[in-house]
Amino acid sequence: MLALIPLFPLLGFLTNASLGRRLPKTVSGAVASAVMVASFAVSVMTVLDLAGSPPDARAIEQVVYTWIASGDFVLDVTLRVDPLAAVMILIVSGIGALIHIYSTAYMQEEPDGEYARYFSYLNLFAAFMLVLVLGANFLVLFVGWEGVGLCSYLLIGFWFKKKSAADAGKKAFVVNRIGDYAFILGVLFLFVQFGTLDFQRLAGMAAALPPEEGVFGALSLATLLLFVGATGKSAQIPLYVWLPDAMEGPTPVSALIHAATMVTAGVYMIGRNAVLFSHAPETMTIVAVVGALTALMAATIGLVQNDIKRVLAYSTVSQLGLMFLAMGVGAFGAGIFHLYTHAFFKALLFLGSGAVIHALHGEQDIRNMGGLKRDLPVTYWTFLVGALAIAGVPLLSGFFSKDEILYETFREGHTVLWLVAAVTSLLTATYMFRLVFLTFHGEGPNPAPSHPAPSHPAPSHLAPSHLAPSHLAPSDAPSHPRTVAPSHLHDAPPAMALVLVVLAVGSAVAGYIGMPHGLGGDNQLAAWLAPSFEPPAGARPAEAEAGPEGALELTLMGVSSAIAVGGILLASYFWLRRRELGAALARRYAGVYALLLNKYYVDEVYDAAVVHPIQRGSERGLWRGFDVSVVDGAVNGVGAIVAEGSAILRRLQTGSVRAYASSVLIGVVVILGYYLWR
Amino acid sequence: MPETIAFYVFSAIAIGASALVIGQRNPMHSVLLLIASFGALAGLYIQLDAPFVAVAQIIIYAGAIMVLFLFVVMLLNAPQEDAAEWDRTHPLRQGVLARFGSLLALLLVVELVWALLGTSDVDRPVGEQAGAAGSVRALGKVLFTEYVFPFEATSVLILVAMVGAVVLARRESDES
Amino acid sequence: MMESFTAVVPMLCVTVAALAVMGAEAFRARGENLPVGGLGIVGLVGAAAASVLLWDRNAVSFGVIKADNFGLFVTMVLLLVGVLTIMLSAPVVGRDGLPKGDYYALVLFSIVGMIMMATANDLLVVFIALEILSIAVYVLTGIRRDDPQAAEAAFKYFLLGAFSSAFFLYGIAFTYGLSGSTRLDRVGAYLAAQSLSDDPLILIALGLLLVGFAFKISAVPFHMWTPDAYEGAPAIVTGFMSTGVKAAAFAAFARVFLSAFEPFSGDWAPVVWLLAAATMVLGTFVGVAQSNLKRMLAYSSIAHGGYLLVGLVAANEVGKAAILFYLLAYAVTNLAAFGVIALLGAREAANDELRDYAGLWHTRPALAALMTVCMLSLGGLPPTAGFIGKWYIFSAAVGAGYYGLAIIGVLTSVVSVFFYLRVVVMMYMADGPAATSAPVETPRVALAALAAAVAVIFYLGVLPARILDLAVASVATIF
Repeated sequence: MLALIPLFPLLGFLTNASLGRRLPKTVSGAVASAVMVASFAVSVMTVLDLAGSPPDARAIEQVVYTWIASGDFVLDVTLRVDPLAAVMILIVSGIGALIHIYSTAYMQEEPDGEYARYFSYLNLFAAFMLVLVLGANFLVLFVGWEGVGLCSYLLIGFWFKKKSAADAGKKAFVVNRIGDYAFILGVLFLFVQFGTLDFQRLAGMAAALPPEEGVFGALSLATLLLFVGATGKSAQIPLYVWLPDAMEGPTPVSALIHAATMVTAGVYMIGRNAVLFSHAPETMTIVAVVGALTALMAATIGLVQNDIKRVLAYSTVSQLGLMFLAMGVGAFGAGIFHLYTHAFFKALLFLGSGAVIHALHGEQDIRNMGGLKRDLPVTYWTFLVGALAIAGVPLLSGFFSKDEILYETFREGHTVLWLVAAVTSLLTATYMFRLVFLTFHGEGPNPAPSHPAPSHPAPSHLAPSHLAPSHLAPSDAPSHPRTVAPSHLHDAPPAMALVLVVLAVGSAVAGYIGMPHGLGGDNQLAAWLAPSFEPPAGARPAEAEAGPEGALELTLMGVSSAIAVGGILLASYFWLRRRELGAALARRYAGVYALLLNKYYVDEVYDAAVVHPIQRGSERGLWRGFDVSVVDGAVNGVGAIVAEGSAILRRLQTGSVRAYASSVLIGVVVILGYYLWR
Repeated sequence: MPETIAFYVFSAIAIGASALVIGQRNPMHSVLLLIASFGALAGLYIQLDAPFVAVAQIIIYAGAIMVLFLFVVMLLNAPQEDAAEWDRTHPLRQGVLARFGSLLALLLVVELVWALLGTSDVDRPVGEQAGAAGSVRALGKVLFTEYVFPFEATSVLILVAMVGAVVLARRESDES
Repeated sequence: MMESFTAVVPMLCVTVAALAVMGAEAFRARGENLPVGGLGIVGLVGAAAASVLLWDRNAVSFGVIKADNFGLFVTMVLLLVGVLTIMLSAPVVGRDGLPKGDYYALVLFSIVGMIMMATANDLLVVFIALEILSIAVYVLTGIRRDDPQAAEAAFKYFLLGAFSSAFFLYGIAFTYGLSGSTRLDRVGAYLAAQSLSDDPLILIALGLLLVGFAFKISAVPFHMWTPDAYEGAPAIVTGFMSTGVKAAAFAAFARVFLSAFEPFSGDWAPVVWLLAAATMVLGTFVGVAQSNLKRMLAYSSIAHGGYLLVGLVAANEVGKAAILFYLLAYAVTNLAAFGVIALLGAREAANDELRDYAGLWHTRPALAALMTVCMLSLGGLPPTAGFIGKWYIFSAAVGAGYYGLAIIGVLTSVVSVFFYLRVVVMMYMADGPAATSAPVETPRVALAALAAAVAVIFYLGVLPARILDLAVASVATIF
């Protein structure tokens, strides 16, 4: 039963991958969407099943088969649904299905083969993501972890003819590999320590250990390594740099992978290992601080970006930061709650931006937009709901989840982190409404800021698929102001509009299942999730449900509401009523503006500090330096390594063979020498 | 005592001739020096109480194989190695790398000598058939009982070498 | 009497097949086209059947060939390599105008040598086997005589191979000198009695044997010949020698060092540790900088030798089984990858530069998909054979306390994915040049071989338990 959930998308992948080119678009799109819907249906049934059992027994496990058995270490391919996984499979298959449906319209202009290729990747991605959240041990999770990484790489680079897209894919891959390295080491380390990789057993064993208060022990190291892996996948400092670039992929991909599902894998992984992490307070502190800093930094960058998708990308990084903050302060439920609401409104916002881009034939620069409210009513209203939700306006979903994070942070005594999170919320509301106002309000294209940053690359990358002739050489497509008269704009086609509306409704009401006690709700989600964050039955501490401090909660809630509204007002002041003021501000603080616009120059620093040395090292240091100059250079003179006929012949004349032999002889002498001299 | 002197004389000839083999420009001289080296080795075998091996060494290596080599060299009418090429590539005439190689070889010799000096019982007879290894009867017996498999496997080895030689040497024309 | 022959039956089958191929070729009428490849496969399958029958019987022939489960497991791997090689060669031999009969005969003879090496229980036999397979492979490397690069490769390989053989032989001589025997069990008994002695000659013998093996598995710094030889040889031969030779050499390496020289593992383990680390690092990091696919895979196979050495160092039960599993996974994957390269080549142009693979997905989707699986498996991504192999190797290293090696291994395998994935990216995410754009029908036999290989890769990745049990049972019999 459980295996069906990832199996459906896998079947979709196989169908589209093998037959895709021969299938008409409608069929491949329908197949891809249908398998996702089927997967969602099975997920719903599973979760209903789960909800029917008493809270302590809410877990369904399916051992698919024994995967690895070595000595006394046996590892099964086991899928397991517990409350946490239940939430995740609903999000992944549900939002995933919606995005598949949306894509059938959005990708309509791709040629047949490409269309099928797109959907096969998308299905494969969903399958891996479902494996990731269903896996009952680290290795199964790792299969999904690597798989989604690979698929996201393929999807980001889907429009590979655009060089920036190919580069972005590469960057995502490189950065994720760094994270994966730490992650694998963390897993190996846990394996050494505990001899098992099963989440349940790990949690049970860790629960028996005393928390590593004030010491940085084995558990702290292991969890820290895992967290580094999470920073790669979930775009946190220092490995967040790939996510904004990942917006080069088709917009539904951004919505699915880089907002709603894959990037949450890191958060999920920490939630899944809540017991391990909570026994390593040192790591938890790091998680919280990194999360808060990422949230703040990404929000400030988001404030000045001009590419509609890039703003959303930084907003994603920022929101993920808040989730990690929640994880770090031990409010696992709050983090997952935010993950859940975020999936709705971020998918909505991305898909809405996709509708805008679709309508404007590839335009992504918000300075070239404006006044779209009239022509794209569905898009506008749904987008507005999403923006209100993410801004944290009361009674929409984002409000509840974000508020819970702020509340928990404060309650746990992290006042500074609370302040950071509060400022982030303010900035979130501001930049989101800057986006709304610049895109949908006002009159046509906005005056460009008087301080254009030459290094800002965004405007030149247009989504190519809709510029049919330039599809082959999209990188040549110049940045141009909107040429289509507003009256010719078409709002989202039915398939897209439907999805937008569904998601808008979701964004509005999804928060009610986590309505806090302070407002008379009973926070069902927290209660639902709680068993997942505790060690398996028996070892549970008899900690009373922390009595809701009603007054404090309400106060903080008021503060949050004020922040949200304040942020929106701020945005409306600068970007709606007195537009020139924004530009003036940018002029006035040109340094800060440039710093933000260039994203703190982190990419440049990474390039200079990490990327170039490594490239040089591997090309010159090892290859040129060792194998070529030592070997060939010794014979042919330094540098002459062209494999032309004469060079080959020259090398044939025993020259380099002698060098090779010298290498062997060195080895012999050193090894024998070692034995004699030691 | 005379045995010791003979040992050192044979050894010196073997080593010296071998070193000269690789130092010659004229392949004909190389082959002749190799015969000298083999002859000296045969002398050493006799000293080791292995007259059969010594005789086999003379007949097979110095006699048959080397004569074949000489024929090949003469048939090919191999010219002397090009002088310029010789200057450029000869171990003794090339710079750092060549000296480096010689140095390594020297180091290896030093290490081996050191190991031999350090070992406890160099003069201990070796193996079950020690002493009788030289006699035809003993050798034949060992070869066809204990080492019958390696003996037979060698025939495969020789066959492969023959096939290989034919493949590489055959004229291009006969297959297309 | 019959009993004493049983252990050699598998290699006898292959030998007979090789002789039959030669005979058929000799009596062939001019222009006649004989299915000698099929003849070879018959021999290999016969050998496989014999190996299956010998399983669990621990047959010993002549005291020097020991068909224990360890040897038989490797034998099966080698036979699989042989069958796949012959199937993949079918289109290549005709296309490149290789001498058909000689080619197949040499392939079969080198398999004879490999099987002999994997089952040898005597250092002298190991040496003879090594020479049989080496000479056959030298010739195969240079079998395209019109290609100066191939000639260069064969020549270099031959000279250096002879050089390293000398060290190996020297090591055997010292071992014999010390223990009075070349039989591994007697050598082992002698060494076990000497395990506390600090006789330098023992260590010299050990070191020299180590060098001989290290050369054959192209461990750093004895790897120098590998990129040149692998690049120069015809792609399918490269595939054959990068898998078969390595598997056979590793089997003998493991047998000699984990049985006879086991008492001195404290002496060789640190050296092998260093070799493994250097091999993984150099193979991976130099591989990243390559633009020729064959050369890149040459460095990749160097790196894979390093992973295998990790298993040898770890040498616990998991590690030993991991070596066998990894050998199988690596052999199938690497051979299939080279098979794809071979199929994409042409007589005039090898088409083995990375850029030649641009847009392959559009022109030859099946080959591109198969190649993708191979690359993912070599890179150790789940759910392929490579992932399970690496997992076992590294968990063996960690289990035996070699954290450093595990960390280096994980790092290099993470880095190595870059160059494997570069191939995938080229195939799927780039526009193709004209070189590969002419749609060519992939020959059925070769396609079947590749499909079988990919099926094995997935089988090992998804359902590895059974093969792993076999591997564990295999190592249990001898060490």
